[in-house]
Amino acid sequence: MRSRVVRWAPGVVVAAGTLALPPLLESGHLSVYILLGLAAMVTIGLSLLMGYAGQVSLGQASFYAIGGYTAGLLSVHSFPPVLGLLAAPVAAALFALLVGVPLLRLRGHHLAFATLATQLILLSLVGQADWAGGAIGLQGIPRLSVGGYEFAEDISYAYLTWAAVALTLVVAHNVVASRSGRGLRALATSETAAAASGVPVGGYRLAVFALSAAFAGLAGGIYAFYLGYIAPGSFPVLLSIEYVVMAVVGGLGTLWGALVGATAIVLLIQVLNTVGTQPGMPSYAPSVLSYAVYGLLLVVVVLFLPHGIVPAMQRRMTQTLTVGKR
Amino acid sequence: MSELVQYLITGVGGGCAFALVGSGLVAIYRVTRVVNFAQGGFAVIAALTASTLLASGLPHGLAEGLAVAVGALTGLLVGLVAIGKPGTPPGAALIVTLGLGVFAYAVEVLVWGDQPRSFPGVPGAVEVFGARFQAHYLLIIGATLAVFAGMGLLFTRTDVGRALSACASNPYAAKVVGISVTRMGLVSFAIGGALGGLAGVLVTPIQLVTFDYDVTLIVGGLVRPALTLAGGLLLGVAQALVAGYGNAAYQMEVALVLMLAVMIWQAARKPIAQEEPA
Repeated sequence: MRSRVVRWAPGVVVAAGTLALPPLLESGHLSVYILLGLAAMVTIGLSLLMGYAGQVSLGQASFYAIGGYTAGLLSVHSFPPVLGLLAAPVAAALFALLVGVPLLRLRGHHLAFATLATQLILLSLVGQADWAGGAIGLQGIPRLSVGGYEFAEDISYAYLTWAAVALTLVVAHNVVASRSGRGLRALATSETAAAASGVPVGGYRLAVFALSAAFAGLAGGIYAFYLGYIAPGSFPVLLSIEYVVMAVVGGLGTLWGALVGATAIVLLIQVLNTVGTQPGMPSYAPSVLSYAVYGLLLVVVVLFLPHGIVPAMQRRMTQTLTVGKR
Repeated sequence: MSELVQYLITGVGGGCAFALVGSGLVAIYRVTRVVNFAQGGFAVIAALTASTLLASGLPHGLAEGLAVAVGALTGLLVGLVAIGKPGTPPGAALIVTLGLGVFAYAVEVLVWGDQPRSFPGVPGAVEVFGARFQAHYLLIIGATLAVFAGMGLLFTRTDVGRALSACASNPYAAKVVGISVTRMGLVSFAIGGALGGLAGVLVTPIQLVTFDYDVTLIVGGLVRPALTLAGGLLLGVAQALVAGYGNAAYQMEVALVLMLAVMIWQAARKPIAQEEPA
């Protein structure tokens, strides 16, 4: 009984906190809050992919872009926006299935290179596609509306985003807890052993790849409606690396880790932006600072905190709990 | 005809740079099983160092040599961080080098600013079969051939080279006969840094140093030595042909798609050879 309370308490506290926060935040902070939720959705998918399926994707922002462009293009061509939002994860997942069939033959660093290459190709194709706005980007995306209700205020996007985060968490949690989730964990430990025990290795990897893409696509769709404008420059390679940093810092293969990692990095970016845009700093200071800090953070966490923040904290907590019982 | 020759030669010149960067990557990968995402950074740092040294009045040759040494030193530093801590698995070291590559970019911009730079190479132009091209291309091609021959000698004829090969083929057995695998790994990182640096120094006079070495990163798909030279050259020639006959805007896509195709083809040929951590 007590263990159940201990297990559920953090979740309830976090949920209550997320619901209570939006009305208290001023508009600048609210937009950070929304972007944080979107980043968390992508990171949950990536954490699932890296932690459970053992695949490194350096192109996660490409699925984010696909989701954004799907939602944007559909609603610009006067389809109902809600259709665009629903189509965003589907399109991203389909794209992942399409590129996944050849790419997932690759492993480890090959896959990392290949996903990175896919994103570079996609970005430059979109940049040259006039029907998608080209390099200038897609402008005039209407606000999201469901039935008669229009998501006009930032605060409604905050609730929408965090509802979507909750949805991804529930889906990811159920996938992990299911029979296929056990197969996935086996797959991450030893592919040969998993295959020998009858886990359909290829199919599962493709499914997780598509699922992580769908999460990113949904986040991209919300992003497009929230900002009303997207361009190839909104989805740089650095963004993909940022998601990897978030997943690694939080702890791979833990769903809370994705949330914690995304929060830590987004807050850090805000601090760096504030420092980098101080008067007297050169114009490239913000980007240089963020590159330097990402790089260092990635190195330090991988070397000294290889399982990430959340598993390290969990171990610390169980240690103190057991010590307290004695 | 003369156009074709010209594209071929410029393509081979560019391809040599790919091959040099790639061979550094292969040297590191074979000895340490670490794929070095910071490899492109070696080329950029060496090229920028050379531009600074030349601007401060050092003669050609000395400046380039020092720049390559700086590349080797950078490689050594990256190696120290990536494999210096005992028990770092190659997968983690890959993410470490990715972090270092990103960090190196920040250092480059901090030291050299964010404007592209260049410096003059071998002056003059050469005419072969009616095709005119910069004489510098000949230097690139010659230097690459010399380096590949030298690497061949190093790995087969010297003690260090044999020790490196031993670590590459079986680290455990290498340890048993008294070779320090970590030290050899660091040596391979220094070699990789020097090769990357050489590529950067050689190629800068014909194309500006930009920080966008994404494409050289992709060369990492080729982690087998024989394929590196062939693949690098193919990549360079294909790029030059596309830029010459087609649309220069698609140069990068061609390189990337080519790399993807090669990697998938390689994986399809030997699907089961997956290495399990011991």
